[in-house]
Amino acid sequence: MEPREFLAIAMFVLFIALIMTGFPVGWVLGGLAVFFTALAIVFEQDLGIYTGVDWAYTSLTVERIWDLMNNWVLVALPMFILMGLLLDRSGIADELMKNIARLFGRVHGGLAVTVALIGILLAATTGIIGASVVLLALLGLPAMLDQGYKPELATGTVCAVGTLGILIPPSIMLVLMADRLAMSVGDLFMGALLPGMLLGGLYVTYILVYASIRPGVAPAPDDAPSPDWRMVADVARVVLPALGLIMLVLGSIFFGVATPTEAAGVGAAGALALAASKRKLSRPVLREVLTETTRTTGYVFAIFLGATAYSLVLRGLGGDELIHHALLDLPVGPQGTVIVILFFTFLLGFFLDWIEITLIVLPLVAPAVQALGFDLVWFTVLFAVCLQTSFLTPPVGFALFYLKGVAPEGIRAPTIYRGAVPFISLQFLGLVILFFWPVLVTWLPSMAYR
Amino acid sequence: MSSGEETSPEARPGNRSAPDRDLPETRWSAAIDNFLQRAGEFLSWIWLVLLAVIVVNVLLRYAFGSGRIEFEEAQWHLYAVGFLGAIAFCVKTDSHIRVDVLHERLSPRMQAWIDFYGILLLGLPFCALVFLFGIPFVAESFASREVSPSPGGLPGRFIIKSALPLGFAAVALAFTSRLLRLGRRLFGPGEEEPRG
Repeated sequence: MEPREFLAIAMFVLFIALIMTGFPVGWVLGGLAVFFTALAIVFEQDLGIYTGVDWAYTSLTVERIWDLMNNWVLVALPMFILMGLLLDRSGIADELMKNIARLFGRVHGGLAVTVALIGILLAATTGIIGASVVLLALLGLPAMLDQGYKPELATGTVCAVGTLGILIPPSIMLVLMADRLAMSVGDLFMGALLPGMLLGGLYVTYILVYASIRPGVAPAPDDAPSPDWRMVADVARVVLPALGLIMLVLGSIFFGVATPTEAAGVGAAGALALAASKRKLSRPVLREVLTETTRTTGYVFAIFLGATAYSLVLRGLGGDELIHHALLDLPVGPQGTVIVILFFTFLLGFFLDWIEITLIVLPLVAPAVQALGFDLVWFTVLFAVCLQTSFLTPPVGFALFYLKGVAPEGIRAPTIYRGAVPFISLQFLGLVILFFWPVLVTWLPSMAYR
Repeated sequence: MSSGEETSPEARPGNRSAPDRDLPETRWSAAIDNFLQRAGEFLSWIWLVLLAVIVVNVLLRYAFGSGRIEFEEAQWHLYAVGFLGAIAFCVKTDSHIRVDVLHERLSPRMQAWIDFYGILLLGLPFCALVFLFGIPFVAESFASREVSPSPGGLPGRFIIKSALPLGFAAVALAFTSRLLRLGRRLFGPGEEEPRG
């Protein structure tokens, strides 16, 4: 191993160590880029060890940031964030909860299914785990607990569905992943759609089966009215605008009518109109939503810029080749290599958010996977499912943290942990299905008009 | 003062811990923070402008078969200014993402030390890097009178390029305010009662 590769490894180890201090991730990344450039210069000039990194090299960071600035596709990012926040505030979630829950009034587990459906529908708009989990927890958890649901089932549903949002398009994580891997956003959106539905379907099936075998865990009220067409109409009235908006966004990308940026902008405009039509759009609310968009955009991009500098220096020190060769030399065969990568991603997801992993780890491993002859969209979707699973896994999954923060009194951490376990098994099942039937990922993109 | 306060429902992603909630202010930090808050709230309207530009361009494309280059370029100009400004706003509001598995178990004083050294050794050097190399980057564009390579594109490319060093100057300013507040906490007169 070349001496400079030790620097690359030290850079990674130090990154993990320093983010554990709780200092913001983006600045750890950027600061390490500066520090290791200085270190590389010392190594080269004073110790005579070739490093290949100096200030002129690291100053390329400015060019890279400029590439982000004039990136047409990434314009979609703040627009999707805005769209998600607007839908959140439009009060549509409450209406969905009320109406769908009434429709499923007599079904055991109906409330949990309602939460799952709302999550799948609205999660599609945020793509930010914390936001979805908090929204669903505040909305659905008290209702489920009041009706005598087993707390484990209630919390597990909220966590699992809340994390699904990062996978179901239009999700900002997929926009970032596509950008980093120079893929088409449309392809990745389409690739992730069926897997997202598959996982959502697994959740709903599990809830219904579990509740029918053990009705005590998810009781249905005895006095619930039986469903009639009026209820169906009420549900349709509430669901259709939101569903229509999301279909509009995805459909226009699918049929090649609009670029992702255009779809995001029009989607945000639609969400604005929806919120206004529900009279939820006062000036203070609008200002709050816009400020929140700024904050979310800001923390995503801080990591983006820090990671840009960090990855640049890491590559300069030979870190990319190191990982690339290490992965290709794994004695476990191509499929085994993918499994190893996914396993490490799963572990990293315990303490890193998707933003860091997407920006730093994904570009490091993807070339090796491609070199092994795998479809990149397929791999990226597996990668995303894997991340989502790790956010659910006790004791350090992000979703569990967020839920604990907003859960009613009396819901303790062990309850939340136990609640997550069945859903983690479902995630694993989903991963296995996607692993052996890549066509679930690749079929839809292959149909999309380009 | 407890470090393990319950997360309120208002807690949002990116604000997992707010160790600065009760950091003391200084005259200068208050002035800087006030400025950054106003600037950030003003800047936030840019997303609405961006939305409008995208929609208008889509309508134009639908009506006339092709969008206008100016509008397409205006989109990423607005977005670039927006995200660069947003970063400084996040420093001010302490919204940047932290890994708080261990962090939240530390004493507030320890958290303050971490932020203090983090800003000095990691945050500010990164700002310096981008700022110092950003200046010649803009100057070069200005000197060569660089314009958009697309026909009908926007002129004066150095203007949008200068958003980069300016944005990082704003980040450095936000860091300075935080340093002042952290310094007050760590080295100032014993002020144990958190305010408000």
